[in-house]
Amino acid sequence: MSITLTMPRLSDTMEQGTIIKWNVQEGDEVASGAVVADIETDKATMEMQAYDDGVVAKILVGEGTQVPVGTAIALIAEDGEDPADIDAAPSAAAEAAQVDPTPETPEPSTPAAEAPTAPTPARSAPPASGPGRPRVSPVARRLAEEHGIDLGSLAGSGPGGRIIKRDVLAQVNAEPMAGTVETAVPVPLAAPTAVQEVPALESAAIEVSGMRQTIARRLVESKQTIPHYQVKMRFSMDALIDLRASLNEKLAAEEVKLSVNDFLVRACALAMAEHPMFNASWAGDRILAHRRVNVGVAVSLSEERGGGLVVATIRDANLKSLRMISAETRSLASKARDKGLTTEEMSDATFTISNLGMFGVDDFTAIINPPNSAILACGAAIEQPVVRDHQLAVGWEMAANLSLDHRVIDGAMAARYLATLKSMIEEPMRLLA
Amino acid sequence: MSERTLEFRDALREAMSQEMRANKRVFLLGEEVAEYDGAYKVSRGMLEEFGPQRIIDTPISESGFAGMAIGAAMMGLRPIVEFMSWSFSLVAADPILNNAPKMLYMSGGQFGCPIVFRGNDGAGGQLGSTHSWCVEGMYSNVPGLKMAIPAFADDAKGLLTTAIRDDDPVFFLESERLLALKGHVPEGEHLVPFGQALVRRSGDDVTIVSFGRPVHFCLEAAEALEAEGISCEVIDGRTIRPLDLDTIVRSVKKTNACVVVDQSWSFGSPGSEIAAQIHQACFDDLDNHVMRVHSADVPTPYAWNLEQEYLPNARRIAEAVRSALYVA
Amino acid sequence: MSSLSDPAHATTGGRRPLADRTSATPDELLDWLRQMLLIREFEVRTMQAYQDKKIGGFCHIYIGQEAVAVGCTAAVQHADPIVTAYRDHGHALARGMDPKYCMAEMFGKIGGCAKGKGGSMHMFDKPNNLYGGHGIVGAQTPLGTGLAFATKYIDEVIEGGKSRHVALCFLGDGAVNQGAFYEAKNLAGLFHIPVIFIVENNGYSMGTAIHRGTTMSHRLISKGEAFGIDGYEIEGMDVIDVQREMKAVADKCRETSRPAMVDMKTYRFKGHSMSDPRKYRTREEEEVWEAGDPITRLRDALIEEGLIDDAAFKALNREVKLQVRSSIEWADASPEPDITELFTDVYVEKFGPYLGTSMPQIVTDQENDR
Repeated sequence: MSITLTMPRLSDTMEQGTIIKWNVQEGDEVASGAVVADIETDKATMEMQAYDDGVVAKILVGEGTQVPVGTAIALIAEDGEDPADIDAAPSAAAEAAQVDPTPETPEPSTPAAEAPTAPTPARSAPPASGPGRPRVSPVARRLAEEHGIDLGSLAGSGPGGRIIKRDVLAQVNAEPMAGTVETAVPVPLAAPTAVQEVPALESAAIEVSGMRQTIARRLVESKQTIPHYQVKMRFSMDALIDLRASLNEKLAAEEVKLSVNDFLVRACALAMAEHPMFNASWAGDRILAHRRVNVGVAVSLSEERGGGLVVATIRDANLKSLRMISAETRSLASKARDKGLTTEEMSDATFTISNLGMFGVDDFTAIINPPNSAILACGAAIEQPVVRDHQLAVGWEMAANLSLDHRVIDGAMAARYLATLKSMIEEPMRLLA
Repeated sequence: MSERTLEFRDALREAMSQEMRANKRVFLLGEEVAEYDGAYKVSRGMLEEFGPQRIIDTPISESGFAGMAIGAAMMGLRPIVEFMSWSFSLVAADPILNNAPKMLYMSGGQFGCPIVFRGNDGAGGQLGSTHSWCVEGMYSNVPGLKMAIPAFADDAKGLLTTAIRDDDPVFFLESERLLALKGHVPEGEHLVPFGQALVRRSGDDVTIVSFGRPVHFCLEAAEALEAEGISCEVIDGRTIRPLDLDTIVRSVKKTNACVVVDQSWSFGSPGSEIAAQIHQACFDDLDNHVMRVHSADVPTPYAWNLEQEYLPNARRIAEAVRSALYVA
Repeated sequence: MSSLSDPAHATTGGRRPLADRTSATPDELLDWLRQMLLIREFEVRTMQAYQDKKIGGFCHIYIGQEAVAVGCTAAVQHADPIVTAYRDHGHALARGMDPKYCMAEMFGKIGGCAKGKGGSMHMFDKPNNLYGGHGIVGAQTPLGTGLAFATKYIDEVIEGGKSRHVALCFLGDGAVNQGAFYEAKNLAGLFHIPVIFIVENNGYSMGTAIHRGTTMSHRLISKGEAFGIDGYEIEGMDVIDVQREMKAVADKCRETSRPAMVDMKTYRFKGHSMSDPRKYRTREEEEVWEAGDPITRLRDALIEEGLIDDAAFKALNREVKLQVRSSIEWADASPEPDITELFTDVYVEKFGPYLGTSMPQIVTDQENDR
């Protein structure tokens, strides 16, 4: 009888282990006590010892693969056995655990003996992305279509690298991060070659969430594939600030509290009517002009909840009053921070606004949130010296930076859009109509 | 108002007795139903009330008395045939499968078969292989019959009343393990329509569909999974024919994942059929293929631990749910 | 040695005056002759249609056994239910089914008694209390017991009176070895159910001579006696004898609410089914039985009594031939079932793909006539 080596339980809480390195190869002799493999547990990398003498007949689980404790990972031929014979008959369980990274998740009616080994999470298995089509669950395919997500850009976390619902949703959640993180994205994350660890730097490796990975990938993709350029304009905010204060005072009893951002959302949405290319997407060989005007508002999530960004979608923003936009934005933002948004609440934005004014930032640029063609980055309204009627005066000013997809929008178009926006912001009564 | 609580077996009897009082065409026959008060006491006291012409002890002769009852049903009577165990119905396969469900069709609509076959189905407690049949696997294959599998006492009454009034043959599958289960049962007329599944527990992450006794295993698993943060929607199908696919599909469209739990063997079973129908009806809403939990594909064992493992128990259901959600 | 190969009985009878042999009226006697002629002609045309591929599947011909169906049916009341096996055309016609519904059924037409869904082996006629036509050997015996159980239940429990019906359950001699028959007999004996099991003993279960497959074949009624069921042996080639003796049996069963078993000795002149070359029996044996043709015997008896002459017989025969011909024309003209019929009559209730149920023409025509 051959001896089956199984994934050992190397810590009290260990349920799964990853084979970091095999120290033996098929055909090698092993002696009891020899370290045959390095195993990464939930706590540390540990050595795995052999307890019998023999010859390694078959390695069932490759390096880098995570399997549950108890899964057969190798077969040892005992003295007098021909390893070739053993090779021919690995146990069914071992077969399932090792070879096929896409085991149809265990047929629930299979005998109990198989149960521990069957549900091999392929999440950490090397992606089985061969030359063929990506494997995608039906609902993931549908969601990706709905959100215009390129399945080829996703790494599946299901069996055999199957792209599943959560992979698409993570992508959808991550998409909006647009502006605020531009400079924060560590380039190496998405760089083709991994950064080499330099011991002198005493670096700590921080595991990143799926959302973070998606942010990294999507922004690199956006910045690398969209011909970005920026156009900036300063708006005088005096009238808007006065109007806002007056409205908030009058509406305080109704618990309405309009933010500067609410005015911006409405202004951007109304300006679309005159500038439809700002509500459009580059589609390879043509431009898709959208009829619905859905303005996305970037919302940053708390560090305790893993950080990151989502874009909450204010649907049909051009048809909504300031008060409606305000209530909706407030409710979506708090929901995003408390328990997360639904796919519906995050999808279909056609233009995005990123506002860092509340953090005191006065000027920045943002990365376009595909498939949008523009994103508006707004800083804080700042009281500063201004020239009015050839006189030096004190006034409120805000810098608005548009990042644009040059395939869709040319510079003059951007300038005209900003002019429309400027007229609305500086004569804010127009936003009440 | 306090709720009246009855055992499952009493609910069955109440349905039969109420229908027999209301309609003289209804009668009960089977082994030990009369003087012995029923092998499982379902018909206790009925002989006393209805007399030996309507509560009929038969010899151990399933093929004979099942066929005889079908003949009576062709003439417009409404027999209730008790099989002490559905396992014993196998010797009556020809009448119950070749005659009852086909009579209407073969006679071009002239002779229907308003009959109820009822009795214990599935594993009891260590009854061994021959006495533990889950006949829904084989019998649900046959068009022309209806099949009801109650999981709770109120449904036992409501579905059986509907079955007795139904003009088509009804295979009514009870579980010995549920007969003592207590629950609120409405007094008076109580009808549960066929083909209407019930959501026993609402949830968002996965839909679990089952029938009869395993519904309880599903609820147990759902409870355990909630602690892991998995929210399960448990659907009690209640009838296999007709099948309420709409309720199942509506739930799957919400959860995007589904586990079907069926105590019969997996090959060619209600579970495989329902899985196939779900795939057909809402393929694009699925995040994983429909998982199935059945009794193990072996004869029913006697040993306690083997039988427990053989059943589609809560642990196996929970494993399937985790697999379906890629969290295994 | 089977008594069936003894032709002696085939030449007995017919000598005594009719008045000693039957209480039937001349009209009844002529009607029996007409029925037997109808069955004979119908079956001949059935064979022809089968060979013309107008009839598919299995088809079992009743020629030779006409006296049994006609005599037994004449011995009971119309309200008494009848059930039989798959050689059922004769019973259907004897029970009063218009031959056009029977032929259309075999042609697979909507006008068939079962809308073309049953075929040759499954003749049902609700207005005439014929409960099928059943294809599985012996399966109809518990059903027949159930029919009689139901009449008794209705008479006693629902109507609160005395049991006053009998059911006729026909079976072939091949069915006596089926377990279902033994269970049916036990229940009938046990529960005092007025069912009469009529074994149409034609000597062969398909190609197996009775003594090769059945114990006590020389005394089949012993298989009823074991269950406390009275047994009768009746020569089945003479309709007058069949009707007279069956009437006595039925009257007794009706009176006592008890079952009976009849070993009805008969012979099928054709094969088991249309594909049977009959190599298991000799031509000589067939000729002996053919000499005792039940139609010839009744015709001769009626001529002898002066109830009919040659010309009248020919006229009757012509009338029957015309009736069968028009039945065939009617069946030919009847449309094939609409494809939607595939999904009707599966359930009474309409749900899912199933379209509910409706009565066939054989029932609705009757209702319209009323």
